[in-house]
Parts: sequence; C-alpha cells; structure tokens
Amino acid sequence: MSTSQAPPLNRMVIAILSMAGLFVALYLLASKLGLTGPLICGIGECATVQASRWSTVGPVPVSALGAGGYIALLAVSLFGLQPAGLASRTVSALLLGLSAVALAFSAWLTFLEAFVIRAWCQWCVISAILVAIIFVAALAEVRRLRGRSEA
Amino acid sequence: MTKFYWILAVVAVAGIAAVGYSVGSGTMGKAATEPVEVEGLDQMETLVSMAQGITKGDPDAPITIAEFSDYQCPGCGAFVLTVKPQIELNYIQNGKAKFVYYDFPLISIHPYSFLAARAGRCANDQGKFWEFQNIIYRNQSTWVTKTSVEGDFVDYAVQAGAEKKTFEACLKSDAHADVVSANLRLAEELGIEGTPTVMISMGRGMARRLMSFDYASIRDAIETLVAESRAASGAQTDTTTAPGS
Repeated sequence: MSTSQAPPLNRMVIAILSMAGLFVALYLLASKLGLTGPLICGIGECATVQASRWSTVGPVPVSALGAGGYIALLAVSLFGLQPAGLASRTVSALLLGLSAVALAFSAWLTFLEAFVIRAWCQWCVISAILVAIIFVAALAEVRRLRGRSEA
Repeated sequence: MTKFYWILAVVAVAGIAAVGYSVGSGTMGKAATEPVEVEGLDQMETLVSMAQGITKGDPDAPITIAEFSDYQCPGCGAFVLTVKPQIELNYIQNGKAKFVYYDFPLISIHPYSFLAARAGRCANDQGKFWEFQNIIYRNQSTWVTKTSVEGDFVDYAVQAGAEKKTFEACLKSDAHADVVSANLRLAEELGIEGTPTVMISMGRGMARRLMSFDYASIRDAIETLVAESRAASGAQTDTTTAPGS
C-alpha cells in the first residue's frame, strides 16, 4: 500500500461542503432557538417548515441533528486528508456510511416538505443538495480506493 | 493542499460571519415579551384611553360583551372556540351586542402570553385579528410546549391571511407592547384575577362580571340585563306620563 499519492479530491469536496452545510444547519438551529430574527427566506415558507411538528425529532431540533452530521462528516474527511488517513479505506467507508444516512434523512425531510407540510424551506433544500453532492463524492471516493487496490 | 485549506478557511469565516451577524441582529431586534412601563397609567383617563380593546360587531350595539383573555389559558381557548361562536350567532351578527376583546396576559404563569397578545395586535394591524385568534387557540396545545414560538405565530398569521414580512417585523419589535401593558393594568385595576373573565354592560351602564363563562350563563345574564333595562325604562315612562294621566 502506497502512501505517496495525489490529495484525494473527493475528501476535500466533502470537507468543504460539510463546512458549508454545518453553517446552514447552525443558522437554522439558531433561528429555531429564537436567537435570530425571522429566517431569511427568499424562496418558500421557511417559517411554516420551521414551525411544523416535523422540525424536531422528540425534543431535538432537526437542525441540531444536521449540525451533528455535518460535524462528523467534516471530522472524518479532515482526518482522511492527514498522512495517517490518506490511504485509509475505513475513512472512505465511514464517509459513505455517514453520507448515506444523511441522504436518507434529507430525502425524508424533503418528502415531508413536499407532501405533508406542503411548504419549502430554501435552507433545507440547500442542505439536501449539499448532502446529495457529499454522498456522490463519498461514493466516488470508495470506488477510487477500490480501483486502486484492484490495480 | 494549501489551496484546499484556504478554501476551507474562507468557507468557515464566511459561515461564522453570516451566522454571527444573524444572531447579533436578531438579538438587537428582539421581540418584546414582557409588559413595558407606560407613563400615565396611574390616571384612569389615560389608562382607559390606552387600554384599547378590539371590537367585533356593531360599535353602536346596545349591549357590550367584554372578555379579558390570555392566549396561553386553556379555558380562554375553550371560550373562544366553543362559546364565542354562539354569542356571535345570537347577539353579534344581528346587532344586539358587540364583543370587545381585552388582553390579560398572566405572564407569571404563561411566559408566551404577552408575546401572543402582541402577535394578536400585529395581526389586527392587517385586519386579521379574529382569524389569527381562532388559529392560535386551535393550536394552543402545540405551541405552548415549545422553546420558541415566534415561528409558530408567524405561521399562524400567514394562515390567517396576514402579510408575512409585515407581521414578522411587527412581532420582532416592541409594537403594541404599550397597549397590551395598558390592557393588563386595566384588568388589574378592575380586580380581575383570572381568565377568561366575561363582563356585560348595557349602554353606558355599569359592567357586570359573570361568575362563569358558559353560553347559558352569558345568555341568562344578557336577558336579565335587557329585562331590567326595559323595566327601568318602563318605570321611567310611567313616572313621566303619570302627571298627565
């Protein structure tokens, strides 16, 4: 197994998008906790979505779960960019697993927005798009490492 | 690799700045959630002029049914959703009476009640008070358990037909805090201790406080008031006509 290799672009993409997603989630969380003014919502009805019963899982705001997920993705992807983790297939598997869970969760929330709440929150949509790209990057990363080991 | 960390740092700084600004500006424009000091409320004239109720029905109707209410009080919700429609049907719509709503937010036990009262007034600015009131009471069990209710109130206002941005701007300010505070003070001056409290009056006569707020009690009280009023005017007519008879 070689450790001298080009920086894994997929992990960089995941790290940057996770960082962006983290702040989207923090903004939604701050609003949910009443720390901000009304959500800036050029498109959709953010207040309706934020006020719905689906905006929490039990007592925990969905945005807090999102922030936790992004932090996990960010931490794993950054570790995967360090010399010790560069060639780690565990890192790639973890990224794929985490992003798959995040994608499933996002898909459920998007379904709720479309068919149950019947209102869209632009920040939730942005987050869903980020998660989808992260998942694709994680999938590509697994394939990249698999291709390298087969070669 | 260095370029990657630069990009990551830029995203982080932009994110911190955006969320930080949002939180900072939100704090600066915080909604008034408690009574405010209003100068002159010690004087009854000022208090009465400041403590405006919200009226439904013919302003010139002979009977006035006044309610002092708290949005977080379950009994007030039951009154508005079950009793008030009967009052409207039998007394307001036919012009026999008018209904006047006063805020009495019991903030010591209901932390959202002052904000809710202000929200009602913000909806009233757009002519959507009664619609908003029905919605907020219908959803009372939902929002009272939350850690933050502003989003819910905005949602209810939109459902009531209010323009969202205008309502939000009103809610996220101290608008109507003085009027709600004056309403609260008026209720205290009248010796009202609980909600909902219903009072009825005829013309400029003294208001009577009802001990219960079910429809039958209110109907009976109104009928008694009307009968007494007729008897009084009949007696007056007798007195007036007696010398000529």
